[in-house]
Amino acid sequence: MSKAQHDRTHHAKIASGIGDPQCFAGKAGPAKFKVGDQVKIRDLPDIFYSRTMAYTRGAVGTVVRLVYESPPAEDEAWDNTDNPVWFYSIVFKQRDLWPEYSEAYSNDSLETEFPETYLQSA
Amino acid sequence: MSSSTRDEVLRHLQRVGHLQPALHKQTHAPAPDEINHELYRAYTRPVHDVGGEYDVPIEYEEKEEEVWELNTFATCECLAWRGVWNAEERRRRQNVDVGQTAYLGLPYYGRWLITAARILVDKQYVTLTELVNKIDEVKSRNEQSTAR
Repeated sequence: MSKAQHDRTHHAKIASGIGDPQCFAGKAGPAKFKVGDQVKIRDLPDIFYSRTMAYTRGAVGTVVRLVYESPPAEDEAWDNTDNPVWFYSIVFKQRDLWPEYSEAYSNDSLETEFPETYLQSA
Repeated sequence: MSSSTRDEVLRHLQRVGHLQPALHKQTHAPAPDEINHELYRAYTRPVHDVGGEYDVPIEYEEKEEEVWELNTFATCECLAWRGVWNAEERRRRQNVDVGQTAYLGLPYYGRWLITAARILVDKQYVTLTELVNKIDEVKSRNEQSTAR
């Protein structure tokens, strides 16, 4: 068996002097969602790897910020940077994530990031 | 093989039996009709995704890193600088690929260390034969130096 041919420095070449995720700026195309949009987190199969927490799947939140463009973790975890996507910061009501969350704290929120691949319009 | 090796192997076999996650259900590669979607998903999930799982309170302990832990961190960073892996591949391997039993059972930097060794084998920087021979060599060197 021969060694897999892979350019070990491909990431350093594009990120040197620029930074990551800055090196992916402008590579994801037009963003599908904008600040204020209501989005639902897709429940994609979570075999092998995912950074999209199970407790957010199927929940509806609001786009707070478009944070950067980057390959989704599911690709980068195998060193593939070919398809950068927009990342969004989404805010949820805690009560929408945890059914047992006390009504006394109904204003509590949770904000976290998702790649566009996990979002759909709500 | 010395009898102490056998003793160690037998203790090991007993120990792995104790590590079976407590499902309160026997699991010996079930027949296809004995597993449903819910179980399939539970078994194939990325094990680092623990948010929302039921658990007991964990005691918080203030503790500084040990020297081997700092060395492990530096080694893993060197592997990144040399392009052997990126941070996301490292996390995938040390937080998910290790499996639930090791994820919960090994020390945090223990997972870093075993994963650093694993990627060198996976990407063919060393063969497993070279690695186990080297570990064996270091072990006997260490035994000799502590015996003195």
